[in-house]
Amino acid sequence: MSARLLYPPPIENAIARIEPLLDTKNRISRRSLALLLLQKDPILRAQLQQEPYFPQIERIVVETQSCFVESLSLAIAQSRHQFTTAIEQDITIQPSKERTSKYEWLHQLTVNPVTGIPILLLVLYFGIYQFVGVFGGGTLVDGIEGFFESQINPVVNTIVAAIFPWQVIQDLLANDYGIITLGIRYAVAIVLPIVTTFFLMFSLLEDSGYLPRLSLLLDRLFKTIGLSGRSIIPLILGLGCGTMATLVTRTLESKRERIIATLLLALTIPCSAQLGVILGLLSQEPTALIVWASVMMAIFLGIGFFAGKIVPGNTSCFYMEIPPLRLPSLKAILTKTYVRLKWYFGEILPLFILASILIWAGKLIGVFDVIVRGLEPVMLWLGLPTEAAPTFLYGFFRRDYGAAGMFDLHSSGILTGQQLVVAAVTLTLFIPCIAQLQFMFKERGIKTTIAIASFVILFAFSLGYILNQVLTIMEVSF
Amino acid sequence: MDCHDCHQSCQPKRKKIAWKLFGFGSRKSVNNDFSHHAQTTIALVGSPNVGKSALFNLLTGTYVTVSNYPGTTVELVRGNAVIAGEKVTFLDTPGMYSLIPITEEERVARDLIMNEKVDLFIHVIDAKHLGRMLNLTWQLIETQLPVLLVVNMIDEALKLGIWVDENQLAYKLGIPVVTMEATQKVGLKKLIAKVADYVRSTPLSTTY
Repeated sequence: MSARLLYPPPIENAIARIEPLLDTKNRISRRSLALLLLQKDPILRAQLQQEPYFPQIERIVVETQSCFVESLSLAIAQSRHQFTTAIEQDITIQPSKERTSKYEWLHQLTVNPVTGIPILLLVLYFGIYQFVGVFGGGTLVDGIEGFFESQINPVVNTIVAAIFPWQVIQDLLANDYGIITLGIRYAVAIVLPIVTTFFLMFSLLEDSGYLPRLSLLLDRLFKTIGLSGRSIIPLILGLGCGTMATLVTRTLESKRERIIATLLLALTIPCSAQLGVILGLLSQEPTALIVWASVMMAIFLGIGFFAGKIVPGNTSCFYMEIPPLRLPSLKAILTKTYVRLKWYFGEILPLFILASILIWAGKLIGVFDVIVRGLEPVMLWLGLPTEAAPTFLYGFFRRDYGAAGMFDLHSSGILTGQQLVVAAVTLTLFIPCIAQLQFMFKERGIKTTIAIASFVILFAFSLGYILNQVLTIMEVSF
Repeated sequence: MDCHDCHQSCQPKRKKIAWKLFGFGSRKSVNNDFSHHAQTTIALVGSPNVGKSALFNLLTGTYVTVSNYPGTTVELVRGNAVIAGEKVTFLDTPGMYSLIPITEEERVARDLIMNEKVDLFIHVIDAKHLGRMLNLTWQLIETQLPVLLVVNMIDEALKLGIWVDENQLAYKLGIPVVTMEATQKVGLKKLIAKVADYVRSTPLSTTY
């Protein structure tokens, strides 16, 4: 005979009284529903609110509650806990003394601030800066990009010119803004190496179990900006792809946290393509990199702090399963990176091609030039050359597309050191790409999305302006 | 802005509208569409980070992202397999701690349990935290929906000196129990055999 869980008599009594009131057509048992009602389950209560018997259920719940000092939920949870613990003891053999995992010391090292912060810095320096920024965004991008520019583009241009005698069609496929010479080149030569290196690193970190420990480590810091340590995972994922990360904000407990995290993702967290290009470009000028990094950090903390004050609701308490540290398997990491890349490219390649077509069509009918001319005063206001205007326009299609445009600008020597910093900061802050907006809309709703998007645009350009002024006044040279 | 608080069955429809509004981009691996029903639907449920997705990949031969942290799966994912000659649809769900959800992603699994036609729930638990996780098992048993319990990560538990008596547990709970180490495919055959028992004994939905 299998075991049976009986709750304390007042609760069993209440269940017996609630059960006959409930509809028998439900998918789950009436006993289960009664227990949910006794635990004041908000979803079920909202569903039954209109039923004529609801007041009667309310009375039973109140009467039952009066028999207990503790809340009914707690009383029910305790009965269950005793019951399941008893079963556990019956059917398992437990070690005589608590045996700790052999990796326990490593766990302690990662969560203790004294050793944890240096470990974090090492991970950031080698994992993100050296591997993604310098290797992915520097070495790999330069190599593939150079190959494209010197080998592929001229060939494509010649072939296209040979097949299509019309300039219009030639421009659609090749030349400066063509689908192949711009769209595919951006995707393959600039975005692919950076995103691949980032996702490899991220997969390694997540499979090892390091990320939850990082959450634990940074929980207190995050509390000051109205977030719990849990939100570190979507935020770090945002360094890979803000779109993916916006979806993952679902794992956060309160609506308030989800809104703050979405805002921070839209505003301050650069995606891997942006990050890679920026790290790659700025690593040649250490001062520029430091200015960019400190401005971004300050904005992240500042905006987080104010958002934490403004967005209503309470800070949720931090509770998270801490999985064991595991040695990741190479196959799992490669498969995961491959799947993420496939998802990512399925998302971006059509958009890159679409952007090329839109730019082509826009140029053809003159709209593109009108918008670019409209942006030019803004560029001058930021102290940037007018040639930077198209880059901002690309940035709206995809962040990575804009970042790739910045790479082009820099290699052609148009941007000076100070302009590079201002452009990097403004583009990082500037509007999330279309795909991320789409997910914000889906996850947060239209009102929040519009509010966040308009704030981000205003903030990005104002901050770019201020930064340019400050750098000019302070005569910082790069 | 309140709309996303409702993850009821209206969700797939609303999502389609959202996609239509924006036009491009679709995530192929994630599919919340309930319209095309296979004969049998089996859902994997359980706390975060117990290996539901790893097991889902094993059962369906597809790949959904698996990681070593809670909250990797945030939406329902659907995959097919043929068991005992029948087409079976498996659903991978975001983790849940209890029938009463705290976060939005937990709500997805709860709504599935409360409202959707699922023929069998496979509750996946971590052998290392058996007592704590049986709590949800029991809540599922109380719903009188068909439940099969998978005690996963028995190898890791064994390394900590914890040994689980599968038969005794099945007897105590009155439901089928399979112990597994999903990443090593240990116990997979046994699980498929038990699932096949369910698939053969249609209709599946009501009796318990």
